[in-house]
Amino acid sequence: MPAFLDFNCSKTIDCKQGAVRAVRYNVDGSYCMSCGSDKKIKLWNPASGLLLKTYGGHADEVTDAAGSCDSSYIVSASLDKSIIYWDVSTGTPVRRLRSHAGGVRCVCFNEDSSIAISGGRDNAVMCWDIRTRRLDPVQVMKEARDCITAVLTNEHKIFAASLDGCVRHYDIRVGELTCDKIGQPITYLAQTRDEQCLLAGCQDSALRLLDCESGGLLSEYKGHQADDYHIECGILSNDAHIVAGSCAGDAYVWDLLEAKVLQRIRISDNGGVVHSLATHPKRQELLFARRRDMYVFSTDVQIEEEQL
Amino acid sequence: MDEEEHLHRFGTPLEPLEKDEVPAKKPLAIEDQIVKDENGKRRFHGAFTGGFSAGFWNTVGSLEGWTPQNFKSSRGEKASKVQQRPEDFMDKEDLGEFGIAPQGIRTRDEFAKESEQEQRSGHRKRKLMQPELAGPIPGVPVLEQLLRPVRDKVAVRILKSMGWKPGQGVGPRQTRKEKRQASARNKREQYLLEHYGAEGLPSTNTQRESEVEDEEADDQDEDEDITFAPDDYEPMFYSPKDNRFGMSYSGLSRAPVLSKSSTIAAPLQHINLFGHLEESAKHKQLSIRGQAFGVGAFEEEDEDIYAKDDMTRYDFSLADKQPKQKKLKHVQQRHVIEGFSEDKSDTTHNKPYVIDLPRDFKPRNWLLRRSRFAPLDAQRARKIAEETEHKKAGLGRHDLNPEQRAQLLGESQDKKNPFKTANSASSQQERSKSLLELISAKSNNFTKGGLITTTGEEQPAAPIELGIELQQSNAALLAQAATKTQNLASTTPASGFKPFLENESKQLRYEKFLASNLKDDKEITEFLAELQPVTLSLWDREMEKKEFVQAAKIYRPLAGLMLDRFVSEATVQAQKSEEQVQSTEQHKIVMERTKAMWKPSALLCKRYNIAEPYGGALPEVEKELKAKSKMSIFDYLESSVNTKANFQTPTIIPKHIEAPKQQQQLPKLPTLVPATTTTATAEEEVTAILPEAPKQPASSATVKATFVPKTPLEQAVDASRDKPISEKTDLFKSIFDDSDDEQETTVAQEQQQADVRLDAMQAALGLPSTTATSAAAANVLRNNSPPRGIFAALFKPAQEQQDTKPSDPAPVKFAPIAGNKLKIAYKPREERLKNDRELAMEQVPDVELYGPKLPTQLKQASPDGAVQAEASIDAKLQQLWQQHAPSKRKAEHWVERTLSSSADSDEDSSDSSSDDSDAKAKKSKSRKRHKSASSKKSKKSKQKAKKKSKKSERTKHKSKEKKSKRKH
Repeated sequence: MPAFLDFNCSKTIDCKQGAVRAVRYNVDGSYCMSCGSDKKIKLWNPASGLLLKTYGGHADEVTDAAGSCDSSYIVSASLDKSIIYWDVSTGTPVRRLRSHAGGVRCVCFNEDSSIAISGGRDNAVMCWDIRTRRLDPVQVMKEARDCITAVLTNEHKIFAASLDGCVRHYDIRVGELTCDKIGQPITYLAQTRDEQCLLAGCQDSALRLLDCESGGLLSEYKGHQADDYHIECGILSNDAHIVAGSCAGDAYVWDLLEAKVLQRIRISDNGGVVHSLATHPKRQELLFARRRDMYVFSTDVQIEEEQL
Repeated sequence: MDEEEHLHRFGTPLEPLEKDEVPAKKPLAIEDQIVKDENGKRRFHGAFTGGFSAGFWNTVGSLEGWTPQNFKSSRGEKASKVQQRPEDFMDKEDLGEFGIAPQGIRTRDEFAKESEQEQRSGHRKRKLMQPELAGPIPGVPVLEQLLRPVRDKVAVRILKSMGWKPGQGVGPRQTRKEKRQASARNKREQYLLEHYGAEGLPSTNTQRESEVEDEEADDQDEDEDITFAPDDYEPMFYSPKDNRFGMSYSGLSRAPVLSKSSTIAAPLQHINLFGHLEESAKHKQLSIRGQAFGVGAFEEEDEDIYAKDDMTRYDFSLADKQPKQKKLKHVQQRHVIEGFSEDKSDTTHNKPYVIDLPRDFKPRNWLLRRSRFAPLDAQRARKIAEETEHKKAGLGRHDLNPEQRAQLLGESQDKKNPFKTANSASSQQERSKSLLELISAKSNNFTKGGLITTTGEEQPAAPIELGIELQQSNAALLAQAATKTQNLASTTPASGFKPFLENESKQLRYEKFLASNLKDDKEITEFLAELQPVTLSLWDREMEKKEFVQAAKIYRPLAGLMLDRFVSEATVQAQKSEEQVQSTEQHKIVMERTKAMWKPSALLCKRYNIAEPYGGALPEVEKELKAKSKMSIFDYLESSVNTKANFQTPTIIPKHIEAPKQQQQLPKLPTLVPATTTTATAEEEVTAILPEAPKQPASSATVKATFVPKTPLEQAVDASRDKPISEKTDLFKSIFDDSDDEQETTVAQEQQQADVRLDAMQAALGLPSTTATSAAAANVLRNNSPPRGIFAALFKPAQEQQDTKPSDPAPVKFAPIAGNKLKIAYKPREERLKNDRELAMEQVPDVELYGPKLPTQLKQASPDGAVQAEASIDAKLQQLWQQHAPSKRKAEHWVERTLSSSADSDEDSSDSSSDDSDAKAKKSKSRKRHKSASSKKSKKSKQKAKKKSKKSERTKHKSKEKKSKRKH
């Protein structure tokens, strides 16, 4: 059990793209993307705060983005009901896929980035064969009764969290749909690195740790305020800590096992909802999105000293 | 004659006509005349052949033939546009004299007359385009004649070609000096001409002198080399004098007096509003003005009417008088906004009129529409209030003001709107207090309620705390309220509310009715009947009763009613918060897990690198729904048990026919072994090659599990399954009468059939079947309905042959021929087993095998005893089919010949000498294997072409052979 070190702000980046809707790391955490309400995605170097590229082409707010496993493509979801597959280096949209009947809320790649999975406000999860020129989804899952808020995938499963309070596991290997009903609208879903547990951020200001195998409720994490916001949550790379934003300009870090608050990260004294966050895939590093800014938090003391 | 000699002759005379020569030839008729071009090519053709001179000698070709344009990469010159002219598309003739675009020397259009132009260009105005003569003005429209397109005159064009430019004069180029002199002269002359006419030209001597002086001054910068074009000569237009005024007299301007330009000589001049004043000032001095008829005797003389202009009258200073005036104005207008000036007139100081207003006048803007929610004016409000007093009077509640009511309802005033209450409650004394004091007082209130924290921020007080405090205060208030409402209750019936105030007697009755406090309907009617006057009709009485009852209900005293219905807001909130706390505490997340089937698409599985669950055999609901709309011949294959949903046989047809052929030819295995000529070794090798081929019939079942398309026999067997057992038994008997144990197994199989089917359904549904399903389930899965549609057509010939008794087709079909039966009976068991093995080999999945696979689960299922038996039965049935069924088909010899023509036909016959049919089959198989690929191919293609007929032929032939051999 690694000792917990407090997170400190190492960087604040003004994204200059309106409200930042989501922040995401790429596959190895060396870059990050911010999705803005100005319909653009920006690629940053989180360490230096350098803007690397801007991807424009969506017709509405960008809600989510994901980088491919080789970091050469980005797939982004937007409220314009389309998802766009971007070439990272050229900044041009390679493909634009529209089948969703509503705004797309979330998107992710599978492990080898051959399939993009998107979930939208039309209650549908769609799997896209992103490398081919096929313009229609490979598969559409319409079991959800409300908006899809998060999609995840691993080697053989697709997880979809919905506002209808259910986490749906689509097991490709078994050909089975498992629906875990929590009963509270789920605003975000995160997966532990060992793929044994799912962390569901619920609307009733609680995070719930679910067991993938049995569907049991393992733990609850409370303390933050979700209100009516779609607060995201995350599991830190060591699988020992859990983090979630809050609507009062702060974020909370819990111990995964003991479910107690380890740190209340005060991001801003001026309030503002910390709705989106991303955990670094390797290091103890966090990205937060609040209003128009992106914050990089890390436990690294050196960076702090540098700042001072 | 003499005279003729003196005449001059022009031209060549016609040959004199012979005496009797009459022109024999008829002149060619117009329709016979052919117009030819210089090449002697016919120029005009009929309308249907393209008008005139179409193509090349009336063809679409050309002299060079039809050559496509060479490819020329336009990569580099995409942007450059190729300008195509109409000439590019014209023939040579078109450019000729009579073509559509004749080319020759002629006068330019500019010089040509209009008629000539028309003639030449052929752009004759069409009739339609010509101006209508039927207009009000006959002839060519005047406007058209007047307005012509502007074109340079010929002279101008000539001048231009000689180097002249507009704006400069004509003549030799001048030096600067010369030019200046000339310009000065011109100016002078012009001025004089303007003002005095040609006669008044003064001698230029004096001016000459001054000019000379100027020249001297400028001499330094003169350069002789630089020459200039002479100034343009402005032509002087001498207009004829058309009046009798004095020389250069312009007369009075006729422009309107008010217009400022009236002062100027030229009334038509463009009026420049801003630069006007200065100009006019100059003009005044320049122009010579006069009076119409001189000066009268009693009039003052105008100032020098005929004064000559001289330089003294010019302004030489830049500073004008006007700036000065402006300055003055600025000084005057000190306290006035820029751009405005003080009004000096006294007219504005008018005495205001005083109007005697009526005393009760209230100003009102009648244009403003009054909202119905706006407060009424006091007078009207009073009036209305008076009118409706009796309505209001009913409830005692109007005695209370809002605050009192709020107290009654347990509303805490300071909480809801502290400022308002403070204002309303503030007495004169409070008002006199300073604002600070007021605020501090308020803050005291707040702190009491725990609303203000030390930080100064407003935070919601703890709900429970608030509730307690309020309840305490409420208790007192409620006590007060109770007393008040008690009072009300006692007073209302008597004095408080009088709904029937208009009718006094009615009101009295009502009060009595209330006092009586009756409940029963009958009693009320009786009670009222006593009170009501006799004049009232029965209906009125009834109505009154109803009214009273209603009124009593509605205007009930409020003793308990209010408290029942209304609860103070504070308590409601407290309850709510309590509930919330409880709910959050009580609400436990109960996880529910539900599982359902879900079919991932094949591509998704592929991309995830995962095998499709159940081998992709999961039924997909959505797709099926979609596919249903499409026509499929399988829709006609009706089946009782197996619907399309749980059974997948997408395409069987082609293999359906090949299956029996495979039985005969034996499957060609992908790996070929070197050819063996001797039959004995061949047989051994077959077994060696096929290690997977089961040695025992028991294991054959597992191999058989792979789906093999239905053969006609299988279909027939399936069909027979549905028949009553009595029918079946004799069939089975006929087949298996020699072996008891097998018969037992068949019975067992029959019993199991239901179970097997169930299992198959489960398998098809993707459910893991609990019972050990056999490979035989695969057979059960097959469509066991009688052939229809295409299949019916396929099997018809066989049926027709068999059908001696059409009423009872199935037994006839499968009732073995006596000879056959015997043969089966005599067949040793070993042989049959071998046969089974062979069949099993055939079932080994071939590369060519077509059709869906069965779920892998079925494959892996361990074979059961009974299942084995069934498998063996199947094998037997197939063998049987091999032997006798084809014999019933029509013989077609030409098919046979093609087969027998192959090299192994001899061997075939020689092999057949051995009565072991198995061995023979195997040999043939092995032989086929070492045959060249080409022959195989050709055979295949042939087979494909002939398909069924051939197959049947072969089988028949063989069986015949067998028969004959066995007879020996």
